[in-house]
Amino acid sequence: MSREITITALKYNPSDCNSKPTFVDYKLQEEPGMTLYIALTKIKATVDHDLSSDFVCRAGICGACGMIINGKPKLACKTLTSDFKDGKIELLPLPTFPLIKDLSVDTGSWMKNMSIRVNSWIVTNEKTDISKLEKRIEPEVADEVFELDRCIECGLCVAGCSTAIMRKDFVGAVGLNRVARFSIDPHDERTDEDFYELIGDDEGIFGCMSLLACEDYCPKNLPLQSKIAYMRRKMIKV
Amino acid sequence: MSQENIIESLTGKTSKKKKSRIPAKLDFLQSATGLILAIFMIFHMLFVSTILISKDFMYSVTKAFELSFIFEGGSTVPVFISILIIFIIFIFHAFLAMRKFPISYKEVLRLKTHSDLMNHGDTKLWIIQVVTGFLLFFLGSVHLYIMLTNPGNIGPFASSDRVYSDTMWPLYILLLIAVEFHGAIGLYRLSVKWGWFEGSDPKKSRKRLKKAKWILSGVMLVLGAATLVAYMKIGAEHQSNYGERYTIQTEVQNAY
Amino acid sequence: MHIRYTDALIIGGGLAGLRSAIATSERGLDTIVLSLVPVKRSHSSAAQGGMQASLGNSIMGEGDNEDIHFSDTVKGSDWGCDQEVARMFVQTAPKAIRELAAWGVPWNRVVKGERAVVINAKHTTITEKEEAHGLINARDFGGTKKWRTCYTADATGHTMLYAVTNEAMKRGVVIEDKKEAISLIMKDGQCFGAIVRDLKKGGLSAYVAKGTMIATGGYGRIYKQSTNATICKGTGHAIALEAGAYLGNMEAIQFHPTPMVPSGILLTEGCRGDGGVLRDKDGYRFMPDYEPEKKDLASRDVVSRRMLEHIKKGKGVKSSYGDHLWLDISILGREHIEKNLRDVQDISMTFNGIDPADKDENGWMPVLPMQHYSMGGIRTTPKGQSVNIKGLFSCGEAACWDMHGFNRLGGNSVSETVVAGMIVGNYFADFCEETGIAIDTKMVQDELGKQDEYILGILACDGNEKIFDIKDKMRNIMQDKVGIFRNGKDLEEAVEELKILLQKTKNITVANKCRLLNPELEEAYKVPMMLKVALCVAKGARDRTESRGAHFREDYLKRDDENWLNRTISYWKNKDDLEPALKYEELDIMKMEIPPAFRGYGRKGFILENPLSQKRQEEVDKIIENHKSDRGSLQEKLMPYELQAEYKIKNQRLGDEDE
Repeated sequence: MSREITITALKYNPSDCNSKPTFVDYKLQEEPGMTLYIALTKIKATVDHDLSSDFVCRAGICGACGMIINGKPKLACKTLTSDFKDGKIELLPLPTFPLIKDLSVDTGSWMKNMSIRVNSWIVTNEKTDISKLEKRIEPEVADEVFELDRCIECGLCVAGCSTAIMRKDFVGAVGLNRVARFSIDPHDERTDEDFYELIGDDEGIFGCMSLLACEDYCPKNLPLQSKIAYMRRKMIKV
Repeated sequence: MSQENIIESLTGKTSKKKKSRIPAKLDFLQSATGLILAIFMIFHMLFVSTILISKDFMYSVTKAFELSFIFEGGSTVPVFISILIIFIIFIFHAFLAMRKFPISYKEVLRLKTHSDLMNHGDTKLWIIQVVTGFLLFFLGSVHLYIMLTNPGNIGPFASSDRVYSDTMWPLYILLLIAVEFHGAIGLYRLSVKWGWFEGSDPKKSRKRLKKAKWILSGVMLVLGAATLVAYMKIGAEHQSNYGERYTIQTEVQNAY
Repeated sequence: MHIRYTDALIIGGGLAGLRSAIATSERGLDTIVLSLVPVKRSHSSAAQGGMQASLGNSIMGEGDNEDIHFSDTVKGSDWGCDQEVARMFVQTAPKAIRELAAWGVPWNRVVKGERAVVINAKHTTITEKEEAHGLINARDFGGTKKWRTCYTADATGHTMLYAVTNEAMKRGVVIEDKKEAISLIMKDGQCFGAIVRDLKKGGLSAYVAKGTMIATGGYGRIYKQSTNATICKGTGHAIALEAGAYLGNMEAIQFHPTPMVPSGILLTEGCRGDGGVLRDKDGYRFMPDYEPEKKDLASRDVVSRRMLEHIKKGKGVKSSYGDHLWLDISILGREHIEKNLRDVQDISMTFNGIDPADKDENGWMPVLPMQHYSMGGIRTTPKGQSVNIKGLFSCGEAACWDMHGFNRLGGNSVSETVVAGMIVGNYFADFCEETGIAIDTKMVQDELGKQDEYILGILACDGNEKIFDIKDKMRNIMQDKVGIFRNGKDLEEAVEELKILLQKTKNITVANKCRLLNPELEEAYKVPMMLKVALCVAKGARDRTESRGAHFREDYLKRDDENWLNRTISYWKNKDDLEPALKYEELDIMKMEIPPAFRGYGRKGFILENPLSQKRQEEVDKIIENHKSDRGSLQEKLMPYELQAEYKIKNQRLGDEDE
């Protein structure tokens, strides 16, 4: 027996001078295995063609659909409506990112700025001859790098972060994790001094207050707590 | 004005084209001062709570702090110096921690809404720290100033008189609550911040640390409350003899 | 009027587009990449299982080389591919993977000594060589002779996409996301850029470029059930089609055997590559009965059909979403799953509440074949330029380059994206360097004005059709009538119904009249584009009266090399036509390195042979017999092909000299 659920979404189009922020309720019949992706797609196709949200892979891989779902930052595509016992779901756009419209936010520009700021790439003077055998890497080291490379830049760590909420220049767990990732990559020749230049300030590693919402809401279960601590210990010694 | 400062404030880099190391030092010092204060508070509590064992014991511990084994009858100088050092660390810690506070209306609104919506444990704990930290600016300063100006007035009667007859007890109740929350949360935060006691499973260790934090807060609050009650009781009994100092002999005479 | 000028304009920010952008920016060309979504969210990130490259480091890949990879690819394509392109590809793939390694992709590495694996549902131990320790590892995948698929757990596309995006940013490539190209700027059969809609603000602007590349991926969303991301709508194909470009083999649609039921989320082929098996309602492993040699790891088209065949025999598992089969990876053990198939585990637990590491049937995941990949696309030369429009390039899934023919091997698509990004990207850069264009701003303005009017026209339209209904109907038609098993009657109906739908899109009403940020408006201009692409697929399938690779006709069961060894070309003759025109491009058997034959899997004896196949085989045999020298020079004799020298150079392997 399916039940009726109520989805409440914050609607607002900042680029439209007539738009005022309002909460809108949508009632719909729940289906077995219904995710918020399915629910919102249905709402968009039937009740409100004008509701904007960001879904791409709808499988928790691409990180596009972060939202505040009943107060918590989550990936909407991986959230089942059946998880909410009272059938009431309130959706808000992710804070800390510029709002595009309704539930759609501009994580792209934010993440691009972050990537450029922490030089999120391999830095090396070594020239690779790609016709020759690849550089050998210890398998465990490759696994360790992969572990941190799993970040999908969904922005939930930033949206959950009290520092980021207050200080818009904070690099976020996503940025600190990225630096940790390159610092353990054997292809990267950067030293701790070099990394200090990227994150050695209050907008970087020293802005983190260790409230660990990043760790608690990361949909990929990245070891953010220990990696941020690791970077902090390193940076303090520089 | 130093040119180095001008260069850094305008360009964000030192004259060697490097980032300043000051933020690293400040971050470290915030933690270090916090750790010192927290450890101090634990020992402070253990010391004042000796009254629960006996007045004599508390008295002899006090005298030991006054280095009575060196100076005949003890000296207030070492106590004064200790308090002064703690006061300086306290002010410095407050100054460093203030950097993290929400300051503008927008920041306060955003932080409060965020925390209320999310209902996330560690975030709420931090807000408790902000509030208790703010209270401690005043409560701690008052207490420390009084002790600094009366380093000799520590003892079973002197302290009790202060608590009861000088009506310091309302301040001490608030101070106790603020300190024990602030300190225990602070110690927990220090552990996760620097990755202490991480072990092989940081998630599990964090749970344990959090449990330890609650236990510490609880034990300290109970101990503190009991101690305060003890001083209140002595203070009430001793009201008529306000200002009289405790001696071991008095105790012996009273026993008869 | 807002006009941007650049040297190279790349539409699509997945692996192929970004790797091409690196190629052009390395030449100092001003490069802009446009993407519907932040580029790291592109559908490339959803590629799970791995990337094929014949490194031969792992003991199970020992002896692998370009020739074997080539042969697997050609057989996989059911001889529909361009063998010269397939050669270009296999020669460059090892270089691509090594380049990616240097860019930070944390490829899984070989650990020396013994390790436990599951082969043919049996636990076995293999011993990796000491000298291979630390080199890039590989897993097994469908349709391959060797273990050749390199991987980072089941997030291979993700790590590749991040590495390539990072490198593009490092080189200062201008990446503009939330930008959608809605038409190409054309004059005298040459492309001069695109008209672009800003999806953050809603405005239109013109991007004028010396060279334009379309790397927009596949068009799976024209189907109701697809593993593709929501953005894979084929609009890149549609703007090329509207500009007059030829599309190739649009009917060649791959159905992946193991998307999960009912969400349609993909469970990687790595599940079976690592030793997982398919089971029916009785828990019986049925694939060995159908495919004794390759079993669960025959090519995707074959496995998908066998699965449906088995369901038709009543062996499917009944569910409220129809019949399905089971994918069992529990036999691989929890440790393996939690390390190498963790996204699969996460997906299965989140969406179906099943932990695939749980013992026996508790861990079995419900699967059913669904649309997965588009072999067809913008028909290009081996250099990646459109065969009929100058200045328009295409690569990756969007293109019909054509290395996949009528079926793509698992692990060859992410591989193609970067390899084509390197090869085609370089040819594209050559073109942009050599080409000077005289810009007629009036022409640009006219095109911009035309698109502006078109959008206003949609908003002004006051009809009684609903765009969301039209879209739903299209997706159902494609699902039901242009699916895995196809027949003349259904296909004919599909074409006619799609035409009616296309007609109906001119008679809709958009409720919200805002021309800026308006999701309904976006549907209103996208659905007609999707319908045009769908019509190319349906009509191409209707007219191709044979079964080849993924294109399977119940009324024409045989692969017909005599009449159908060709590539379907579909194009839009007049703007207001309701269906594409078709023509065919013949494949020359006499130039093939491997002439058509049996694939080694799939049903035997279902080929109408072309006499030339026999003749060419004899020629090939003779050349091989008389050849005394090394592999490389033999290949040159069999089928010479052009490729940049830096990519054609020999690939070093373990055991080769001067390591």
